[in-house]
Amino acid sequence: MEYEHAMGQLAMEQNTTILGIESSCDDTAAAILQQSNGKGVILSSVVSGQEDLHAAFGGVVPEIAARAHVERLDLCVEKAIADAQISLSEIDAIAVTAGPGLIGGVISGVMCAKGLAAGLNKPLIGVNHLAGHALTPRMTDGIAYPYLMLLVSGGHCQFLAVQSVEKFTRLGGTIDDAPGEAFDKTAKLLALGYPGGPLVEKAALAGDPARFKFPRPLLDRAGCDMSFSGLKTALRRARDQIVSEKGGISKQDRSDLCASFQMAAADTLAEKTRRACLAFLDLSKAHSPTIAVAGGVAANGVIRGKLEQVAKDAGFDFLAPPMKYCTDNAAMIAWAGLERFNAGYSDDMTLAARPRWPLDQSAAPMLGSGKKGAKA
Amino acid sequence: MPPKLVLAFDTSAAHCAVALVLGDRVLADVAEPMTKGQAERLFPLIEQVLADAGYSYDDLDAVGVGVGPGNFTGVRISVSAARGLALARGIPAIGVSRLHAMAHGATGLTTTVLDARRGRVYMQYFDNGTAEDAPKMIAIEDIDMNKGQIIIAPEDADFIEQYKMAQRPVQSIALATALIACDTIDHDHPRPAPLYLRDADAAVSSEPLPTIL
Repeated sequence: MEYEHAMGQLAMEQNTTILGIESSCDDTAAAILQQSNGKGVILSSVVSGQEDLHAAFGGVVPEIAARAHVERLDLCVEKAIADAQISLSEIDAIAVTAGPGLIGGVISGVMCAKGLAAGLNKPLIGVNHLAGHALTPRMTDGIAYPYLMLLVSGGHCQFLAVQSVEKFTRLGGTIDDAPGEAFDKTAKLLALGYPGGPLVEKAALAGDPARFKFPRPLLDRAGCDMSFSGLKTALRRARDQIVSEKGGISKQDRSDLCASFQMAAADTLAEKTRRACLAFLDLSKAHSPTIAVAGGVAANGVIRGKLEQVAKDAGFDFLAPPMKYCTDNAAMIAWAGLERFNAGYSDDMTLAARPRWPLDQSAAPMLGSGKKGAKA
Repeated sequence: MPPKLVLAFDTSAAHCAVALVLGDRVLADVAEPMTKGQAERLFPLIEQVLADAGYSYDDLDAVGVGVGPGNFTGVRISVSAARGLALARGIPAIGVSRLHAMAHGATGLTTTVLDARRGRVYMQYFDNGTAEDAPKMIAIEDIDMNKGQIIIAPEDADFIEQYKMAQRPVQSIALATALIACDTIDHDHPRPAPLYLRDADAAVSSEPLPTIL
């Protein structure tokens, strides 16, 4: 009986085709995702990055990002349609990141999506960018609710118990900077270039992770909250100390600084992940729990290795979707949109772009979650 | 040839403005003053305008859009919307600068001027509504006061004493944008892009990098 019901559902939902649009940071992206027999099939995923535009500044400049998005969004959509070998009229709904993120980009994406939804007379679905990341393991690996998610990127760092398309419980997260931001800052302070993640990791290969005793903030405090801004400051102090002693830093100094920094970030993430696993088990009582990671920082080999070990020790399956769906992309937005669409949600033309939009609306506001504080 | 149905909108300043024309016939010309919320209001207002005139998105032949200069975010709201709508309908999106729209319908030598803040203005010279040169941003005192009449935006009425005798645009921003778009509908149009006339506010870090020994 249940089986029949499920089949009926699937038949109804067959071949739903969703256009996803993402523009909340420095990637303009569009994707076509089709639900076929209950599974998500990514027909195309176009990502137009802006690293070259921001490299000189050592980080993403919001106005520069916004200027690029507005002139690339429709081009990405056209390419996604062409790559998927479908026509615009085959799209059943348009899903778009409506926040959180850099507002100039988010608002351009939302307006482009509204124009498309109006012109095609199809439903518009606003998607939380973080929900896109958090639901990615369901798109790529079809895992069931609930599961534990670590989002760790240049803009975000948090643990979420993902319980349904609408229910995310925030178990902890950074109270200030995201680790990816700290990697970028480190690369900048050490004249390595941008983006910092891969450059710091590479330099760290030849370094001694024990040479500098960098802080592991908040490990003395219960819970899963993290802090990375002090680590940045400690790295700057250590660099300045060396510069004042010998007028510059040697390549070995640089590698040691990178290795020590990376180890401090990895240790903090690992210990907090261990605690998040326990908190998740308390909350969900799951029998065969899974932890999934998403975000650019999950590409770091040292960090990933530690996280995998922690997961194994805690009896969790460890899941890391392919990197192209872990970093910013529109396929995940299309998938989250599809899940919302199937659950009966859609938005009207008053959909607003939101710079801040916590996934877990019930969680207490984070320390420093004001204008300058943690972003989501 | 039957007259073309053109929808135009502009959110480059503290307004949400929409116009609909059928050839040279004005079907709608509305503007709601607002300093924020244009992104939420634009499409509901467009839908109201279309419905009141008895048309739908399917009937449009082109979209005209105000590309600024003006509020960066406001300009991006309209340009993104126009590009999305044009793609969906397979119709041209035609970008019209606000300096051009302000000169539309004016006769003789005309200088259109917009407050660019920080002692500067966005301006352009026109002759009978046709541009004489490219739009640019200059210091207020560098405007040539002898280049015919000066037209300033309604909201800039008091921004500088010497323009107290300046004229207002003949038409509203959205209507002028719609009429210009309708007039040029058969031209080849690049996709509309914001006309900023001011560089992005971004400075390369002045912090010295460490010497690598």
